[in-house]
Amino acid sequence: MYGRKACELVKEFASVGKGQLTQYNSDLFEQVVAECSQHHLELQSLIRKMQEEGLDVQTARNADHYGALIHHLSLVRNKRCLMAYVNNRAEIIRSLVWKIGSVLPKEIEEKLSHTEEEYFSKYSGELKKYMSKMELDLTVDMVPPKDPYIKVRVLDDIGDGIVLSDKTANFARHSIHFLKRTDAEQFISRGLMEELTG
Amino acid sequence: MASSSMDGSIPTMDEFEALLSTTDVELLKRAWRSEKASPEILRYDTDLVSRLTEQIQLMEETVEEKSTSGADPLSLSLYQMDLDRTLFLLRSYLRVRIQKIEKYMFHIRKTDELWNRLSKGEKDFTSRKGSSNLHAYAYRYYASLVFESNEFSCCRCIEDLKQHLEESVLSKLPENYQSVEKQSVISEEDDMVPEPRLDTFVLCRSKEYLSGIQLEDGPVDDRSKLFEMEPGVLYFICYKSIKPLVESGKIDLL
Amino acid sequence: MAGQSDAELSLFSAEELEFIAEDEIVDIVPNLKMGPLNFISGDFGPFIPQIVAQVPLWLAVALKKRGKCSICPPQWMSVDKLTQVLEAERNSQEMSEQLPFHYVEISRLLFDHAHDDIPDAYMVSIKMVLPCRIMPWGFFKCFALLSSVQVRSLIEDIRDVRFHKVETDLEAFNGRTIAVKIKNLSAMEVNIVRPFIGRALQAFYKHDSPELIPDPERVPDRRPQVVQNAPRRQLRR
Repeated sequence: MYGRKACELVKEFASVGKGQLTQYNSDLFEQVVAECSQHHLELQSLIRKMQEEGLDVQTARNADHYGALIHHLSLVRNKRCLMAYVNNRAEIIRSLVWKIGSVLPKEIEEKLSHTEEEYFSKYSGELKKYMSKMELDLTVDMVPPKDPYIKVRVLDDIGDGIVLSDKTANFARHSIHFLKRTDAEQFISRGLMEELTG
Repeated sequence: MASSSMDGSIPTMDEFEALLSTTDVELLKRAWRSEKASPEILRYDTDLVSRLTEQIQLMEETVEEKSTSGADPLSLSLYQMDLDRTLFLLRSYLRVRIQKIEKYMFHIRKTDELWNRLSKGEKDFTSRKGSSNLHAYAYRYYASLVFESNEFSCCRCIEDLKQHLEESVLSKLPENYQSVEKQSVISEEDDMVPEPRLDTFVLCRSKEYLSGIQLEDGPVDDRSKLFEMEPGVLYFICYKSIKPLVESGKIDLL
Repeated sequence: MAGQSDAELSLFSAEELEFIAEDEIVDIVPNLKMGPLNFISGDFGPFIPQIVAQVPLWLAVALKKRGKCSICPPQWMSVDKLTQVLEAERNSQEMSEQLPFHYVEISRLLFDHAHDDIPDAYMVSIKMVLPCRIMPWGFFKCFALLSSVQVRSLIEDIRDVRFHKVETDLEAFNGRTIAVKIKNLSAMEVNIVRPFIGRALQAFYKHDSPELIPDPERVPDRRPQVVQNAPRRQLRR
């Protein structure tokens, strides 16, 4: 059936979670492209046939006309699927630049086609240029900022003279401190401190 | 904002005071909310962004200075928080715009409405030239108007994507089907270009009493009815119907 | 997509709503002396011990966390006031206008960071005013102060009543709806109903054209009987 392969291609894209990439399916992609060429050949031969029969291609409404129309519409349908496939993948590729920066991890790189890799590096280059022009890194601060300091209680004896980014502190057990979130996180994750709210 | 002066009326004292006391951060916050809520890209406020960029730089210097001069750590951390909040707003605002520009870049490039945003002088200037240049000029001008130094988002970015689509798909298709804008040569319209949905319903609030809003795109029965908006009350309404009022700043989206 | 909160281009995240609410001005009573703060977002202070100052909520919370002030809970957060509001909300289909746009976020921020500033005096009438509705919230136990529990549960009740009203209002929607006036809906309530209303209106708008569903009053006689009597779709699911 016409258009089935193209539909598979699009479905494959949509089968994984939002923002995720499947392996670029060049095999199926090229099959759809080949189908397009086939449609075009059929279309042309039908039109030639009509011309040979002396019919006005613009106005004649015989079986060949509708046959040609079906090939045209199938081709357009395939084109839209191919474009949707590439365009939607391009959107994810752009979001990757935002999320992971300009160097692609191997496992993602393997999923891209060659032109997609090129597109990735061009886009990340443009983004960098734009950000340096604005003198603003736009890839940080994705969520609204919170107070950089938090209140913590020491749960265990950590010791004296611990050096933090902005001070040196003595963390006696049960003492309460006001620390930079980034400093406190290592102690919290080791179960040595707990964050106090309210 | 300066909406009342657009009707030619003189702003009342209250409005004037409100205007004076409105900080740039507040203005940016409004722009950010409207931009987030609007289906299409809104006008870029060059002046506002450059004023804020300046204030941010100034504040960064101040904070830097304070931290080296051993100023009170309490007030220092508070200044830092204020700075962080402003930076977040600016970044998020620019990101929302990039996101929209990327989504609709081909549409933004070709839309005639953009042409109408030119000043008279530029129209006179371009009209004397051949019409083929006209569109390109309008586009470039619009780009500079809307995106400011934003070469990233419009020009290069469109070209990059276009090239990517051409190499991956279009060049492999039969001759008559290679356009990025049209399905095939027989398409009369640009039927391949994603467009923002202007019939989206948005939430909005007016600053003043507005009457005579034409809901031209409502169901047929109601098309002739005029709609009024009370100040400060929220409405869900079709974006198309209030588009000009959003553009003139009389209505905020939220 | 520029790495924003995914597909819903126009929606605000809970964090973003809170961020917006943090700019609301509240009264604080500082316990320190500090010169004026000339922020990008405005000038605040100077701060003098025991003298009430007005600051944005984020600043109030930051000072509070550092033990530098107490926050005066807004008028509307008192038990008396909230009880009144709850009554008003129950007695009328209209949304009460007595609560600020960001009442949910503001009260949450204050509960999280300043619950000890919500006065004990408000505790007294808890048994009488609180509706006999048992809230299944285990975490309430961790709140030492009854008053904040009380205020909090009042706010939750108000929220529930209001939501119920919003739902009822939504049922009245039909294809004739072109614009919806929503008086006194709060930021959080708006955010929750937004995707639904937006899409519902869009769908009505798309499907409810006379070409698709003939309106008997508008097209008399000419239509076949069956179509004329076709019931109009209702929103009730």
